[in-house]
Amino acid sequence: MALDRRRINGPEESFPPIFDSDALQWKVGDARKDRSPADIRPIFLQPGLISQANGSAYIETAKTKIACAVYGPRQSKNTAYSEMGRLNVEVKFTPFSCIRRRAPMRDAEDRSIAVAIHQALVSSVRLELLPKSTIDIFVTIIESDGLDGCVASGSVAASTALADAGIELLGLVTSCAASVVGKEIWLDPTEEEGRLSKGTLVLSCMPALKKVTSVWQTGEMKVAEALGCMDACQEKCTEIHSVVAQALLESAKI
Amino acid sequence: MTSISTSKAEISYIQSGLLSTPPLRADGRGLHDFRTISLETGVAPLANGSAHLNIGKNPHDGGGGTEVLAAAKLEVENVDLGGGEGVDGGRIVCTVSCSPSAYPHLSAPALDDLQHDMSTLLHQTLAHPSLHPPNLGILTGKKSWLLNLDCVVLADAGNTYDALFMAARAALWDCKVPRTRAVEYKAAAAPGAQAVESGEMDVDHDAEAQQSGFDTRSIARAVDFELPDYWDEGKVLGGRERWPVCVTLNVPPGSKGPLVHYLDAIPQEEAATPLRLLLVFSFPPASSPNLQAMRVLGSGELESDQIRDFVANGEKHAHKIWDALNGKLKEEDHRRGQKARDRFARR
Repeated sequence: MALDRRRINGPEESFPPIFDSDALQWKVGDARKDRSPADIRPIFLQPGLISQANGSAYIETAKTKIACAVYGPRQSKNTAYSEMGRLNVEVKFTPFSCIRRRAPMRDAEDRSIAVAIHQALVSSVRLELLPKSTIDIFVTIIESDGLDGCVASGSVAASTALADAGIELLGLVTSCAASVVGKEIWLDPTEEEGRLSKGTLVLSCMPALKKVTSVWQTGEMKVAEALGCMDACQEKCTEIHSVVAQALLESAKI
Repeated sequence: MTSISTSKAEISYIQSGLLSTPPLRADGRGLHDFRTISLETGVAPLANGSAHLNIGKNPHDGGGGTEVLAAAKLEVENVDLGGGEGVDGGRIVCTVSCSPSAYPHLSAPALDDLQHDMSTLLHQTLAHPSLHPPNLGILTGKKSWLLNLDCVVLADAGNTYDALFMAARAALWDCKVPRTRAVEYKAAAAPGAQAVESGEMDVDHDAEAQQSGFDTRSIARAVDFELPDYWDEGKVLGGRERWPVCVTLNVPPGSKGPLVHYLDAIPQEEAATPLRLLLVFSFPPASSPNLQAMRVLGSGELESDQIRDFVANGEKHAHKIWDALNGKLKEEDHRRGQKARDRFARR
């Protein structure tokens, strides 16, 4: 690479400036900004946005924006005979989805989110009715605001898309995140709030059947706090369930 | 997930055995009994801390069982605010690799996915800020330690997650951080410097700049570090008693009662029970236990009351593992410290 030494060359690499945002000045004991601890961000959910897919959904909760497409059930390729259908979840971050640019390649975080979404959904789909076939779920994260939010919203979107595709389900899966900040339980934490928290928990359940399909907890929590988070999440999941059902009904009418 | 191929008849035989009263398991254990665990620390001489763990070794020929090797290795890293990954106070990276000989039935991509999933769980749990050891920094804003915890699954005879976390705890317990001493440059005060009147020479003395009342910057003077020659390998990781242990509760399908779960599954039992609950506990000395991670793995549903019971039971099981592991780790420290010195003196 030729470098013109007669000119003033800029630095080889550059980084965006880091500002001290207000949330970083949060102290233990302060109240939550913008909303109360038990509030979640408003949800916008639209099934059937991607016309070429068998089923699809788009979800937006404040700064988290996720599109999800379901293809299938279609014949499994290159795999041995399987009595049960396979559920294949792939998660992609767009390069511009985070503060730092994400190189458009398969990287480590994608798979861990895909595994979490797969875990949330797998018990709800009647895979025993679909031998030798695969259901592909493609989740594209257009804008991300915290990993936990992505897992929760991604699961809701994927379940909506599965219902939109007309695949037999035992129930709709809804999912909610909670984090322990100080002594309080904050539902649906943003990325900054996630950084402040001691621990985070994402609960996925089928509210219609009152069954839990996945619990995904990291960080330090007392047992009572974890159980408190689970109860709070489960309550919110019931509310999210009505949002999902409403969105599906509206799209079915058209 | 990682199941070996097991016929439907065998699966149903195992399931009905687990659910019968009294419960029956292939090797005659009770539902909450572990197989024998053997542990040795300090197995990798070039690592800063290491451990070799085996669950379920056959007492007659010394073979079989789940075998995990864990080693912690420290590396010096530059801290820069821009592009580098190094941060003040150091960081931890956990990796799990599975030997293909442990999983002969898995294809290469499936094996990659499996070890990636294990790495993710281990990393998310152990590298969480709430467990971060305080003594991984070297020079603020310049250098820090990067702790690489590498685990190798050499053989899988069931219950890999419990084995991984136990081995990781042992290796981190054993890990010694080398002592470092900061090096800084000081300009020798020139003998004539005091005599020079201001204005006569237009030289900025560093020392004077520091004394100025307007200068409120705190400049780190240390530029580099050195390793002092000392008799021991270094200090143990701060807060090493906090590293958690994992307990896997396997839930056989069709169990209605809240308490039906079993521990330490062998591969055939794992194939017969798709649903398991992973609980990672840490027991701080003066307060109630901390839950460091919880995961539901596999297909099947749980009710929230069931989870409540499982967490309460899991805490008891984890506490037993915790006590036993602590006892063994103390014994290992003694074996490698006091006893080794005695043996050396007797020669």
